[in-house]
Amino acid sequence: MNAPQTATQLEQQPYTRQEMMAIATGRELHDGELAIFGVGLSMLAGYFAQAHHAPRLRSMTEGGVYGATPVGGLPWGIECNRISANATSFTNAIDALGFLVASGRCDVGIIGAAQVDKFGNVNTTGIWDGDIGATYRLPKTRLTGAGGANDIACGAGRVVIMVTHEPKRFADKVSYISSPGYLDGGNAREQYGFVGGGPSAIVTTLGILRPDPVSKEFILDAYYAFSSVEEIRSATGWDLKVSPNVRVVPEPTPEELAALRRVDETGALRKA
Amino acid sequence: MSSHKLITLAEAVRRYTRDGIQYASGAALPVGSDAVVFGRELLRQGRRDLHAIFHCNTQQLNLLAGAGAVAKAECGFSGLEVFGFANGLRRAVETGQTALEDYSNLAMALRLLGGALNWPFVPATVNIGSDIQHRSAFAPDDYPAKAKIPTVTDPFSGREIGAFSPLKPEVAAIHVSLADPLGNAIMLGTEWSRFELSRAAEKVVLIADAIVDTACMRQYPNLVRIPDVVVEAVVYHPFAAWPQSSPGFYDADEAHMKFMNKSLSTVEGTADYVRDHVTGIADVDAYLDNIGRDKVAELSDTATAFLLDPFRQWIKTPGEVAELLAASTEEAAA
Repeated sequence: MNAPQTATQLEQQPYTRQEMMAIATGRELHDGELAIFGVGLSMLAGYFAQAHHAPRLRSMTEGGVYGATPVGGLPWGIECNRISANATSFTNAIDALGFLVASGRCDVGIIGAAQVDKFGNVNTTGIWDGDIGATYRLPKTRLTGAGGANDIACGAGRVVIMVTHEPKRFADKVSYISSPGYLDGGNAREQYGFVGGGPSAIVTTLGILRPDPVSKEFILDAYYAFSSVEEIRSATGWDLKVSPNVRVVPEPTPEELAALRRVDETGALRKA
Repeated sequence: MSSHKLITLAEAVRRYTRDGIQYASGAALPVGSDAVVFGRELLRQGRRDLHAIFHCNTQQLNLLAGAGAVAKAECGFSGLEVFGFANGLRRAVETGQTALEDYSNLAMALRLLGGALNWPFVPATVNIGSDIQHRSAFAPDDYPAKAKIPTVTDPFSGREIGAFSPLKPEVAAIHVSLADPLGNAIMLGTEWSRFELSRAAEKVVLIADAIVDTACMRQYPNLVRIPDVVVEAVVYHPFAAWPQSSPGFYDADEAHMKFMNKSLSTVEGTADYVRDHVTGIADVDAYLDNIGRDKVAELSDTATAFLLDPFRQWIKTPGEVAELLAASTEEAAA
């Protein structure tokens, strides 16, 4: 455990890669939007945006908890008492994921991924040795399943995927599509008539990837002050293309970092 | 004639469950509300081969699957949120002991809605195009799966969408914050899919953290989302969702959430957990002793306690609930 720190000590502590990822994700959210956050880091990114540059961001969880801000640290779940202590409305799953997301009313969602591929498809269901094949084989490692992320990936206007940048997490093709990105790329998504537009960005601990407007393949859009194009390419499991306009993401401002750390009061993003 | 439906937890499991039953729990949230205590009693009574319908995994499904009591499960989210993977369920799935059929969280709620409305199917605009549609743990050789979420044509637009199968579980144990002795219930916090489940299930047993007088329901009828007409029985059980949380009553027991999940990661750990926290716990007093009275007090000191304030005047004491229970037992014996 970290020793208790004074406010000054905390201010002077350099930002971590996870904090950079959360801030870069939060910058994708705009004031006034209706947003849905998953549990964990994506929730911190969302509440950071609300605390910093998007005070009129309308947020909800998939449980139908409205108007709440976390108390006592990162909530353990979308229904945790830490997010139920100051809500203005409690409803239900069909309301949040259906009436407000499947309907097309939700502007943006943030989801996580165990594995993501070059077309932004997300796997959170399991790890297999190689292709699953034509018979449903047992996974080597069972993960958490799709949860509400599939519904957000199908219904939210746009989706931001937050993921730690490691080769094993960045596959040419995910072994199981739990939540659809652009499927096989190009216009493959269109045949399903999803009301949501698909992933607009993959924000990682090393940089930001965005889809090519035609092929829908994710390409490197930006890297951080502490990362590089080479590092990101070698941490990506496919031959990652680099945007001709690739840029450096601005470092967190002191105000951004202070806002994030107020939201992340238990320091979830500062642990190794 | 008895005008109330209060029975003990043991009696509820005896009366409404059997081996192989299609059993649904509500709210089936991984950290919040769920009738976890009902699963402990299912194990005490040795129920097996369960077909579990859980909107999400919970510590209950994690325990039941880890202990080998679940043959089939249908789920949306199957982890424990920030507490990580559900080790008992994970082990049961990886060894093939439990066939876990994956859906999304909206899909599970819609399938219960379909069951409640007696619809033949529910139009699916989510889950299509992903492996949730293409792969079926219940029919592993059916690839791409035709029977799980079949493709149908929207008769109005001509567009191809999916069809979800409706769910009508044989019995549902639904955790609620407050119930009256007749079976009217108030839920604090997200109701998740408990409203739909209470109408989809053939039989509903309420598991309530507290029992209130019916006058409470008459004061807040808009909040009574589960009325007595759909309820078979009411079980009074404080800390029914432990180690998960119940808004207004108690916070999640973070240490036990982690301990329990770690225990469930192995066969031996699960056996130890069942020995120490399931077997031989005969009544509510023994259950609260097992949690630890200091822990009970600590978890009850929740930032959500104010949510209960409007209802406190109607909450019956454990003694009053025991009197009602005793009266019904005497009637049954007479």
